[in-house]
Amino acid sequence: MKITRMHGAGGKIMQDLIKNIILKNLEITSVNGGIGLESLDDSATIPIGDKEIVFTVDGHTVKPIFFPGGDIGRLAVSGTVNDLAVMGAKPLALSLSLIIPEGFNLEDLEKIIKSINETTKEAEVAIITGDTKVSDGVDDVIISTAGVGIVDRGKAIRDCGVKEGDAIIVSGNIGEHGLAILLSREGFDFETDIKSDVAPINKLIEKVLSEGIQINAMKDPTRGGLADALNEMAEKSNIGITIFEDKLPISEEVQSLCDILGLDPLTIANEGKVVMAVKKEDAERCLEILKEHPLGKNAEIIGYATKEHKGVVMETIVGRRIVDMPIGDPIPRVC
Amino acid sequence: MIIKIKVKGIVQGVGFRPFVYRIAKKNQLRGYVKNMGNYVEIVVEGKEEDIKNFINELKNKKPPLSKIDELTIEKLHQSKKTFENFKIIKSETNEEEEEGTIPADVAICEDCLKEMFDKKDRRYRYPFIACTNCGARFTIVEKLPYDRENTSMRDFPLCNACLREYEDPMDRRFHAQATCCPACGPYVYLTDGKEVIAEKDDAVKEAVKLLEEGKILAIKGIGGTHLTCKVGDDETVLELRKRLGRESQPFAVMSKIEHIKKFAELEEDEKKALTSPRRPIVVLNKNQNYDNYFSKYVSNLDTIGVMLPYSGLHYLLFDNEIAYVMTSANLPGLPMVKDNDQILKKLNNIADYFLLHNRRIVNRCDDSVVKKVGDNIVFLRRSRGYAPEPIKINLENENTKNILCVGAELNSTACLVKKNKLYLTQHIGNTSKYETFNYLKDAISSILKLTNTNKIDAIVCDLHPHYNSTKLAEELSKSQNIDLIKIQHHFAHAYGLLGDNNFFEDAIILAMDGVGYGLDGNIWGGEVILFKNGKMERIGHLEEQYQLGGDLATKYPLRMLLSILYKAIGDDAFEYIKTYNFFSEKELNILKFQIERKINCPKTTSTGRVLDAISALLNICLKKTYDGEPSIRLEPLATQYKKNMTGEIETIPPKIKNNILNTTYLIKKSYEMLLNGENKEKIAYLAHIYIADGMFNIAKKIAKKYGIESIGITGGVAYNRIITEHIIKNAKKEGYNFLQHKRVPSGDGGISFGQGISYLLTQLFNEG
Ligand SMILES: [Fe+3]
Ligand SMILES: [Mg+2]
Ligand SMILES: [Zn+2]
Ligand SMILES: [Zn+2]
Repeated sequence: MKITRMHGAGGKIMQDLIKNIILKNLEITSVNGGIGLESLDDSATIPIGDKEIVFTVDGHTVKPIFFPGGDIGRLAVSGTVNDLAVMGAKPLALSLSLIIPEGFNLEDLEKIIKSINETTKEAEVAIITGDTKVSDGVDDVIISTAGVGIVDRGKAIRDCGVKEGDAIIVSGNIGEHGLAILLSREGFDFETDIKSDVAPINKLIEKVLSEGIQINAMKDPTRGGLADALNEMAEKSNIGITIFEDKLPISEEVQSLCDILGLDPLTIANEGKVVMAVKKEDAERCLEILKEHPLGKNAEIIGYATKEHKGVVMETIVGRRIVDMPIGDPIPRVC
Repeated sequence: MIIKIKVKGIVQGVGFRPFVYRIAKKNQLRGYVKNMGNYVEIVVEGKEEDIKNFINELKNKKPPLSKIDELTIEKLHQSKKTFENFKIIKSETNEEEEEGTIPADVAICEDCLKEMFDKKDRRYRYPFIACTNCGARFTIVEKLPYDRENTSMRDFPLCNACLREYEDPMDRRFHAQATCCPACGPYVYLTDGKEVIAEKDDAVKEAVKLLEEGKILAIKGIGGTHLTCKVGDDETVLELRKRLGRESQPFAVMSKIEHIKKFAELEEDEKKALTSPRRPIVVLNKNQNYDNYFSKYVSNLDTIGVMLPYSGLHYLLFDNEIAYVMTSANLPGLPMVKDNDQILKKLNNIADYFLLHNRRIVNRCDDSVVKKVGDNIVFLRRSRGYAPEPIKINLENENTKNILCVGAELNSTACLVKKNKLYLTQHIGNTSKYETFNYLKDAISSILKLTNTNKIDAIVCDLHPHYNSTKLAEELSKSQNIDLIKIQHHFAHAYGLLGDNNFFEDAIILAMDGVGYGLDGNIWGGEVILFKNGKMERIGHLEEQYQLGGDLATKYPLRMLLSILYKAIGDDAFEYIKTYNFFSEKELNILKFQIERKINCPKTTSTGRVLDAISALLNICLKKTYDGEPSIRLEPLATQYKKNMTGEIETIPPKIKNNILNTTYLIKKSYEMLLNGENKEKIAYLAHIYIADGMFNIAKKIAKKYGIESIGITGGVAYNRIITEHIIKNAKKEGYNFLQHKRVPSGDGGISFGQGISYLLTQLFNEG
């Protein structure tokens, strides 16, 4: 069998690839009893003294590399910072590895690096090491960033900690990154305000944590969108999640475009959002705190965790729908 | 001489044991008969000749509803202690895991009906009247064996009078598990949702009055609940549509046999289906007087689904009305409500009044639906009156595994294969809905329970990665470590057709429907399948078209038209689509972007989507409100044309290349005819014939190449009379043996059965 585009689309096919080919063949996958590779969480941890070092890596390719709302540089920093942040960690430093295709435009490279700089300032992280390769084997620039953060021992927030009754909160409008990328890649030349939401959200999360909100689980809904993140959280926590369609924060523009294209905003990627399972009693206060921050102004409580069912179920005006783990491109199923 | 007889088949709840008692007595035999949960055991002692006579009568004079599948006779040693008389002994559950059988529900019989309308009878106008030959079975049973204490009738202890009948072997209610009377049995009551207005017969009489006044009633029946109103009044029927949110899907009606010919055509075999004790809804052609009786809002097709009363209560409802709307009380896609609190809660804003009763419905069971296509009566839905009766297939090898087949997604059923019997569940519905998916799980556990099945050896599911049934199968397979086999949707249809016909030789099968996940990851639905040497192979199909917006294209058939027309005539297609005033300028711009960039434009070979495009082209249906609506509403136009047609007409010769039928050409031709002012009926007819001829020609070519003599049709399109009957005509003319469904639905309700057959055949051919 050959690797196909579907294997890289997030969702179930990719998970199977990771489990059956990668995890199966690696034997040493954790240190000092910290969170290791096999938990497939957003980051791993290495316990040292009364702290844990939080560590993650992310490779970024995107077409086009400059898109409404951002570019690959901003994406490379935000992606890694957010993976650290959703562990409840304070991001400290990043590495920067560039693979640049032969013939790449020097001005473009500089633009990307400047964007990286801006984003690290926003996130207050340092780039402390790096590597640069020029290759004739790639079509476009590939940026990998590894990140290191720190959290108090035992305080890392997992994606498997959802508890019964928890409120499920998403920090803002969904579906914007994926749709913005799609439109600009395909040359959509009609007037639209749809922009990628790509942003580092560590400051937003730190704010919530500093106010003593109890977050039982957290994840950034990137590839595969909110549907993927919620399904993973529910499955790993062995609990069900019920969400309400009319509570989902979606901009009118994203919704109407999705309605015409037949796409489901729940399955579209975000790069500046976090979804949290918050102790019921803290939910309203958490929402207030989020809304005070520009990156959280559209936050909503979208549902709750329940033991009444498994997986993710959405209440709609026409009854309850089971929200699947997406598998890459949508496949027709209606007769 | 003393012998032991084991009888398997439908021998429970059909008056089998009293029958055995009577013939044993008649032949001066001693011994006993005993219900063993999954078979009946008889021990008789007497003269050899009497025993011979007894066995003869056992085989030939058995009760009308019983069925003997297997009869084994064993000689016992003469023991010292002999029997003094003949007895019916209390049921015993056999621990040994073997298949049991729960009978399906049976409509009220003539004898009970007579009693119910006899003023002197103690069950006069008592709606729950039943005997060994009639009444609820599957819908009230909780577990094996089928005895009163295992049904919801256990809530109603028999009164002395009923007990006497129950215990008297010569009485026709001897061991009738559902028997009862006004003194001891359940009763009906009428409520407006707040308080009880009337009870018992007053409730029935009041309900009839309310119906005649034009009120909408929820009536709890045998396996579920109906929403009922009179048929002749536009306002009433429209009101029901509004409250249900059901725009145009036809309602089924209930009428009495003496009325039907007033408004519908009724052929002999349709009448037979209609009056059978299974009492399905039969889809009949309306006749010219139909409009005199029915509001146009009951059915906007040229057909009407009709059933006869099947419970005592139904008969009591008929007074002045010729028919009633009788539609399942469920919100779209959700299971029908069956419990009193749910009926009151869920139908709160739909029904004006509720005619309820205090007997629990254990197993929900929707009405079955059949329709005549070609010379066959085929199932659109196989449920009440049939489920959970198994379908037997004749294979040389006896299967020893228990196989659970979970079906597809829409119109879903599940199926348990045990030995060479396939136990199809009742109709489940659309399992993409959470509640309906749970119903599927419940139906699976009850079919396992009702067949005494504790162990599953393999699970079969569809190939579609998103179906909830697929996920259920994967979970079960993982958690219980059971083999999982995934079968391509149209191959399952094709296997189902073979099993239905007990035909396992080489054949060409046309599998035509709306959606099935293909082996190539695209959507299939217009497939020519070769079954040869035990293997299925896709060998021809309809041209691939882009499904513009995925599932949205199914909901809005103009998208399909746009997509195919764009392929045929380019940008002009957008100018033309504008004339429908359906999409805004902005939407059209985005659709253009979408189609040029092929964003969310999966490829499909579906027959349904091509018919949808024609339906949209002719402005018949621009928005689908129920499954198959655009093509279902297109068919009457073609039928109309065919009726008025004189002699042969010039058809559009199908364009075929590499066994692929060109559908872009069909759409282009139809579009041109429409622009040239050709009438819609003719275009509709020619489009149907193009598809029928095209598919048949591909099948014929392959059949010739491989020397195959049988051609068959399956899938939802097999319900389309124009297409199916034309293919049958072609096949008969050319001397082919033709296969059509008889015992299981052609549509996706038959997928679970096909999955089971696929497992059995694959095993068989692998071993052999
Ligand atoms: Fe199908
Ligand atoms: Mg991540
Ligand atoms: Zn009877
Ligand atoms: Zn009684």
